[in-house]
Amino acid sequence: VTLAHLDELDAIELPDGFTWRPVRRRFGIQAFGVNAYTPGASGQVVEEHTEEAYRHEELYVVLRGRVRFTVDDAEHELRAGQVVFLRDPTLRRSAVALTDDAAVLAVGGRPGLAHEVSAWETLFAAAPAIQAEDWDEAIRIHEATLAERPDDAQLLFNLACMEARGGRRGDAIRHLRRAVELDPDCATAAATDTDFDTIRDDAAFPRA
Amino acid sequence: MADDRYQILALDEIEPVRAPRQQAQLLAVRRELGIRAFGVNGWRGDAGERVVPPHEEDSGNEELYVVVQGRATFTIGDDERDAPAGTLVFIEPETHRAAVAAENGTIVLAIGGTRGEPFEVHGWEDFAVAEALRDAGRHDEARATIDAAVEANPEAWGLVYNTACWESLDGNPDAAFELLRKAMVLDEAEVRKWAAEDTDLDPLRADPRWNELFG
Repeated sequence: VTLAHLDELDAIELPDGFTWRPVRRRFGIQAFGVNAYTPGASGQVVEEHTEEAYRHEELYVVLRGRVRFTVDDAEHELRAGQVVFLRDPTLRRSAVALTDDAAVLAVGGRPGLAHEVSAWETLFAAAPAIQAEDWDEAIRIHEATLAERPDDAQLLFNLACMEARGGRRGDAIRHLRRAVELDPDCATAAATDTDFDTIRDDAAFPRA
Repeated sequence: MADDRYQILALDEIEPVRAPRQQAQLLAVRRELGIRAFGVNGWRGDAGERVVPPHEEDSGNEELYVVVQGRATFTIGDDERDAPAGTLVFIEPETHRAAVAAENGTIVLAIGGTRGEPFEVHGWEDFAVAEALRDAGRHDEARATIDAAVEANPEAWGLVYNTACWESLDGNPDAAFELLRKAMVLDEAEVRKWAAEDTDLDPLRADPRWNELFG
């Protein structure tokens, strides 16, 4: 499929109250990050975040309706056809819908580096399964992505979280240890992540 | 609205540039915003005008088109597809594509990059802006635009090559050959490919330096 209307994209409502419309995954795009968002129950359309972890430049395009875009403490009311470009990854950014039909496209990438697909996309894709505590399905979604990117530390970490919650202690330890091998910071994160509460007493659990 | 960390603009308030080679109205979004991580530009057209110039992309180059405003008719290979506002179109690199506006004021955004490679500014939009200025007789502004673009993107072989074309057309073969040599250092294969059939360089072909460079 090479062509899709915004309203034909998958609609995955996330716990923060916004709806993710996967574009990159739909088309298999590898060269840059691109997704669309529409409001969910809370009216949020872009979750509050920075890009400090990924160091991405981001371009948001209002495709439809009106939104209130917040950058740090500055608020901007935007209409369809307006864009926001954030070159500074430390800026806090978020948006809420001012009309029910609001839709925003987000494009991202890191200057000077080939694009790498972000692990959060898989976490978003698994969100309905996670909310339903369907750990088998959440694990299946992560394993499918892991087959394409076996050395993605964040993906391995997230998979280990799902496995720990799903009672798969051995798989969780194995994937978490591999995540820590690839990125030692994962051990620090694992020390306090409640997903690992049930396996933290294991002698093989990686320590920071 | 802008500071050095973020910028807001309206696509329909960007002054379109009539890109001479593409024969379409370019909204030079990446250039306007100074984006370095991916390519992004808009094309604006009234009914019947081009909003995606006919072309194919080299292998690995991925382009996503987004109809932001109005309505367009896309030609993808042999297929014709209606694309109202809100439509996203992703086309395999080597597939021929083009689009014309089906309504006045149509805007199509083109977002691009190369799979597995960092985004590089090639500067074709800078050249389109400069060439439009040159066609309007604003030669000093055109040259200043190119000089600024070359300074900002010294690795962009296309900017150097296209400036050589100008020198060729203006009857300055010494400057043209000097620029072609510089462009060859940046990307010899691309320069050879383009120079082979570029009529802008016809005034240089009988010069002995042509064979020294390309022979």
